[in-house]
Amino acid sequence: MTTVRFKVNGKAQSVDADPSTPLLWVLRDHLGMTGTKFGCGVAQCGACTVHLNGAAVRSCQIPLDGLAGAQITTIEGLAARGGAKLQALWAELNVPQCGYCQSGMLMAAADLLARKPRPSDADIDEAMTNICRCGTYPRVRAAIKRAAGVAA
Amino acid sequence: MTPTGLDRRRFLATTGVVAGGMALALSPADAAKPVAGPAPWGPDAAKGHEFTPWIEIAPDGMVTVRSPNPESGNGTMTQMAMNIAEELQCAWSDIRVEIASIHRNYAENKVYTKASLPFFGGHGTDKVRMAHCFRLGASARERLKAAAAARWNVSAADVEARDSVLSHKASGRTLRFGEVAAEAARVSLPAEPEPKPQSEWTLIGKKSPSKLFIPDVANGSAVFGIDVKLPGMVHAALLQVPVMGGRLKSMKADAVRQMPGVRAVIALDPAKSRSSPVKEETSFGLKGTSEVQHAVAVIADHYWQAKMALDALPVEWDLGPGAAVASQDTIYQAMAAARDSARASGKAKDVVKKGDMAAATGSRVVEGEYLTPYAENAVMEPLGGTALVTPDSCQVWCATQDTMQAFWVAADETGLTPAQVKIYGTNMGGNFGRRTQAEDIRMAVAVARQYPGVPVKTIWTREEMFRQGRYRTPITTKFRAVLDDATGLPQALSGDLCFAGDRPLFQLTQGYGDVPYFNSGAIPNVHLISTAHPVHVLNGAYRGPCFNSNAFFSETFIDECAHAAAMDPVDYRLKLLAKWEKPWSDVLRLAAEKAGWGQKLPRGEGMGVAITNWPVATIKNFGSTMAAVARVAVSQGGELTVSRVDIAFDCGKVANADAVRAQIEGGTIFGLNMTLNEEMTLTDGAIVEGNFDEYPMLRMADHLPEIHIHFEALSGHDRFDLMGELPVGPIGPAVGNAIFAATGKRLRSTPFRKHDLSWT
Repeated sequence: MTTVRFKVNGKAQSVDADPSTPLLWVLRDHLGMTGTKFGCGVAQCGACTVHLNGAAVRSCQIPLDGLAGAQITTIEGLAARGGAKLQALWAELNVPQCGYCQSGMLMAAADLLARKPRPSDADIDEAMTNICRCGTYPRVRAAIKRAAGVAA
Repeated sequence: MTPTGLDRRRFLATTGVVAGGMALALSPADAAKPVAGPAPWGPDAAKGHEFTPWIEIAPDGMVTVRSPNPESGNGTMTQMAMNIAEELQCAWSDIRVEIASIHRNYAENKVYTKASLPFFGGHGTDKVRMAHCFRLGASARERLKAAAAARWNVSAADVEARDSVLSHKASGRTLRFGEVAAEAARVSLPAEPEPKPQSEWTLIGKKSPSKLFIPDVANGSAVFGIDVKLPGMVHAALLQVPVMGGRLKSMKADAVRQMPGVRAVIALDPAKSRSSPVKEETSFGLKGTSEVQHAVAVIADHYWQAKMALDALPVEWDLGPGAAVASQDTIYQAMAAARDSARASGKAKDVVKKGDMAAATGSRVVEGEYLTPYAENAVMEPLGGTALVTPDSCQVWCATQDTMQAFWVAADETGLTPAQVKIYGTNMGGNFGRRTQAEDIRMAVAVARQYPGVPVKTIWTREEMFRQGRYRTPITTKFRAVLDDATGLPQALSGDLCFAGDRPLFQLTQGYGDVPYFNSGAIPNVHLISTAHPVHVLNGAYRGPCFNSNAFFSETFIDECAHAAAMDPVDYRLKLLAKWEKPWSDVLRLAAEKAGWGQKLPRGEGMGVAITNWPVATIKNFGSTMAAVARVAVSQGGELTVSRVDIAFDCGKVANADAVRAQIEGGTIFGLNMTLNEEMTLTDGAIVEGNFDEYPMLRMADHLPEIHIHFEALSGHDRFDLMGELPVGPIGPAVGNAIFAATGKRLRSTPFRKHDLSWT
C-alpha cells in the first residue's frame, strides 16, 4: 500500500492503495467518482478518458504511484473547466444513445478543442479514437464542429 | 412516502443490521448516506404524489414518469414521457423519467405488464403502450383540473390545463400542477376521459426532444449498473470456465486469501442454483442461456484488489467435451455438412414450401453458399450487477434489458419467493440483445449468495465478456434458383439453412422465411428448409437476431440472380415485389433515386442495394421496411471505402423524427461494423478474442460513410413501428453488392476484412 496525494477537479485528495491501482479504479472505487467509465482496461476504448496535467489520457493505464502532485480533471469537473458549452451541445444534438462511452468522448473532445480551437476533420479523427458501439460518431463530430464554430 | 421510499428505508434498516452483525466497520455516517436507489435519472420524487405507479407529480411541479421499459439508447423512456405529456399537458421542462421497479408489478397486480412487455426497450412507441400512456396522462390531467375546480368552487369543465398550469378563464385564477397535486392524486373521476385525436397532437410527430437523460450523461452523474454505490459494498472479480460446458477441477484459494483486501474466494456451480418456488413469468423462460456457469470469483474491498487476487489464483479446469472443437472452422464445416444432408435425410424443418420445385424449366441456374460467423455484442458497459442477499431477501441493482427476466432469475437463483425479490434497474451501457438473458445478473446473485448480508458488486472484465458471450448465431445457407428464360426471374428457388447451436430461441428465420419475394407469388416454386448443428458455444440475441445474417444471404443471392439475368438490381427487385404491398417498392425507389442509382461509375467504384423488413416481412402494414443503397470505392490493392449510404424506410409514422434518425445512423454503423469487421474465433473450444485490440471496431478515423436518411417514403399507415434492429439488415448486403459492382468479386461470407478485394 502506498499513500499518494494529488488533485481531482481542483480538490486535494489522498489515496492509500496498492501502487499498481489504475487511476480509473482510484477515481471510481476509492473516490466514488463513477463518471469515468471502465470499458476495456487496455487503453483501447477510451471510456476512461480523463485529463492528467491538462492532457487527455486513458486512466486505466495510469497507476496510482505515478500520480503524486498530479492535477486531474474528470467528467464531473468538466463544466467548471470550460466544458459546459460542449455538454450543452451534446444534449442539443441528441448525441448519446446508451451514453456509456460519452464521458470519455467529451473528455477527449474538450482536450482536442483546448489544443485546437478550430479542428479539421483530420484533427478530429486523430484525437477521437474512442469506441462507441451505438454508432454516435456522426453526431460527436457534428457537436465538436458546432462547438468550434466550424462548418459541419 | 411512496412505496419506492419505503423500499429505501427498509434497505437502510437491513444494512444497519449488517453493520452490526458482521462487523463491517460501517460508521453511522456511512450507514446514513443515501443509497443508490432505483432512480438513476435523478433524485427520486419521494415527496411527490402518485397518480398511478406510472406517474408522480411533486409539489414543485416535477412530473416523474416511471417506465417499465429500460432505456436502451433508442429513447424509449423519453418516448414514454412524450406519450404521457401529450395528454397531461405538462411543460416538457417539468418532466423526467425513471425506470419502474418491476417488483411492484408482482406486488400490485401486473400494474406495468398489463400495458407493456418490460423488455429491451424496443417497441417504444408500440400501440398498446402508447394508448395506455395516453389514458394515464389524460386521467391525471382531469384529476388536476377537478382538484383546481374544487378549490375555486367552479366547474372542472371551465378549467384549462396547459404547460403545467391550470387556469380558470372567467376569474383569471391560475394554479400550477404541483400546487394541487396532493388533492388531485386523491381524486376519483366519475368517468375516465377519452384521449384526444391524433390531429390535435402537439408533441408526438411534431417535436423531437433529445433524450431526457443526456444532461446527466454529459456531466457524469448518470448511474449505470457498474456505478451503483451502496454502504458497505464489496467487489467481486469473476472468471468462468474458458470452454463453455467445462467444470472447475480445483483451485488453491489459500494462495491468494491473504492478499490485501481479499474477503472470500469462492467457486460457482450451477448445481447450487435453487430454482424459484413460484412458476416464473418471463418473456422467454429461464432455461437455455441464463444458468450459472462453473466459475471462480474473488470478493475484496476494492475491485482492483479482487482482480489482482483472481489473476494470481491457481485454477485447474476440466474443460469438458467442447475442448475437442479445434477451431471455428470445425463448426462451420460441420454446419455445411448438416445443411447439405438435411434435405435428403428428411430431418430438416420446412420454412416455406410451395409449388413444385421440379416444374422449373429455365436454363440458367444460380447457386450460392453463404456463411456468417460468431460475433459479440460488445456492449460498452461491462456486465455484472450488485446484489444483497439475506436468508429472506434478495435485492439487485443492475443494468438489464428485460427487468422481468432479471427479477425471475434472482428468484430462481436464490430460491426465494418473488415477493422477497427486488430489482432496481439502472441505465444500461448498451445491450443489443446481450442483456436479455440476465445470466450476468444470475452470476452476480450467485456470488452474493455466498457472501450474504453484504452488497457485492460483480464486474466482468472485457476479456470475460468477449470469451463468455452469448454470441450471434452463426448461420450457413445454400441458395439455388432456376431462372425463367423469358423474364429472368426465379421460377424455382430453394434454400438450405443450418444454424449453429441447439437452442431454438436463437434460431430465427426472419430475413429468410418471411421475404416477400419468396411468399408473395413472385416466385411460383419455393422450398426453404432449416436445420441446426449443436455446439457447446452458447448463442444469444445479437441486434436483429439471425435476421442480420439472413438478410445478408437473401439480398446478396437476389443480387446474384439479377446479375445472372443481366438485369438491373433495383428493377429486378421491383419486379419481384410487384405482387407485394406498395410501400416496399416506394422505399426501394426512393433510396435508389436519392443515391443517384444508375449513373455510370468508373471501375473500382460501385453501388449496391438491399431491402429488408423487421420483425415480420410477410404481414402487410407491419413492422418497418428499409432499403439501403451503398456507394463504395475499392482500390486496386483492395482497400475498401464506403463513401455514402442512402436509406429510405417505412415504419408507418414517426413519433420522434430525430430519435428515428439517430437509430438509423447508429444501426447502420453497427451493421457496417458487423459486416466488415466482426468475427469471434475458437481454439480448442475456447473463444480466442479477448479485447478490442483483437476485435476491430469502426472508429471516427475509419472514413465512415455519409449517411443520408430519407423520410419521404413513409406510408403514413397508422402505426409507429420499431427502428432498433432493422438498420443492421440492409447495410451489409448493400455494401457487398456494391463491392461486386465495383470489382466483380462476390462476397458470400463476413467479415469482409478477411476477403481479398484487390482487382486488376
